[in-house]
Amino acid sequence: MEGVSYQRFPKIKIREVRDDFMKFELRETDSSIANALRRVMIAEVPTIAIDLVEIEVNSSVLNDEFIAHRLGLIPLTSERAMGMRFSRDCDACDGDGQCEYCSVEFHLRAKCINDQTLDVTSKDLYSSDHTVVPVDFSDSSSGFDNSENKGIIIVKLRRGQELILRAIARKGIGKDHAKWSPAATVTFMYEPDIYINEELMESLTPDEKREFVESSPTPVFKFDENTNQAYTYDEEVIKKAESMGKPGLVEIRAKEDCFIFTVESTGAIKASQLVLNAIDVLKQKLDAVRLSADTVEADEQFGELGAHMRGG
Amino acid sequence: MQITKRVSYERDTKIINAASFTIEREDHTIGNIVRMQLHRDENVLFAGYKLPHPLKYKIIIRIHTTSQSSPMQAYNQAINDLDKELDHLKNAFEAELARHSGSQSRQY
Repeated sequence: MEGVSYQRFPKIKIREVRDDFMKFELRETDSSIANALRRVMIAEVPTIAIDLVEIEVNSSVLNDEFIAHRLGLIPLTSERAMGMRFSRDCDACDGDGQCEYCSVEFHLRAKCINDQTLDVTSKDLYSSDHTVVPVDFSDSSSGFDNSENKGIIIVKLRRGQELILRAIARKGIGKDHAKWSPAATVTFMYEPDIYINEELMESLTPDEKREFVESSPTPVFKFDENTNQAYTYDEEVIKKAESMGKPGLVEIRAKEDCFIFTVESTGAIKASQLVLNAIDVLKQKLDAVRLSADTVEADEQFGELGAHMRGG
Repeated sequence: MQITKRVSYERDTKIINAASFTIEREDHTIGNIVRMQLHRDENVLFAGYKLPHPLKYKIIIRIHTTSQSSPMQAYNQAINDLDKELDHLKNAFEAELARHSGSQSRQY
């Protein structure tokens, strides 16, 4: 017997999009969905990060596990991650988790030969797959302003010191280890509803009105116009109203079903792709917790088999 | 050795049309959205979830329904509705993304 659908129809409006940053509004849905999206973006969207390091030569000042830890934290471009298999689920390799379907191999060779300190950076990591490389943070739009981007510094070498290693990068999720989290920060807040009491507003002199408008640290109001498109708001405006002897001039309430999301990515995945992947992962999780038909059948009271047994 | 299933349930012996669903390897992310969706169902009298222990990775969802429906039906219905809502959300997002980048490129 099919029930009526109690589905909601959320709406999205994008405010700002950059490669690694995104701000959008989510409306007409519940806070539990917004929170689930946030949690999944931080902890369950898969990325690729270095997981196994074989060090051949290390005469630097940092010890082996220190360097291996730093290598793990380097963000790698992970567009491939959603389609890749987890190493533990891969049946193509012999169980050591190093085949081409479930992992990416990196190697690094550095030796300092002259008197100048050699910076070993993420740019010195060479990948076996050109789609999975350490993220390049140089801003293409800034022009001549910044000096050449050297990449993330792994270790610094003096003359005679050498570092040779081989690293395997695998797919993982943030829940396992924070190196696999693709999100730098994900936040959401409620959109404020600002009510201005018109009658009380009329009773203020123009000077008082101007003071009121200027009292808010972030420009929320314009003089002689009341705009309600505020992004942020603060209590300063309310305090000022009270101090002028007119409490109740402004009322600020949070709208319960409109959320403003701010998503910042580490660069492993684009911010917009991160949100799409999060929705896909959430759908997969829901599919995994469906009741299977045999669980219901086997039940004596509710399953159809049970109904038969009772003569229904 | 027992292999625990991902989702299992137990009917309540004392209350009719009531059951507790135990879901392994899930946490508040799924628990809260399923619970909120169940609240929207008119046939559901009671819906709640808990993590019995923060160090054990599982949740228990308890559902009571009227005689018009059964807890299993309500549960499946909630999951289907959530699936459709996420589909709608994904389509809306992709459409908005295309519209936004389309209008941006026209500015140059």
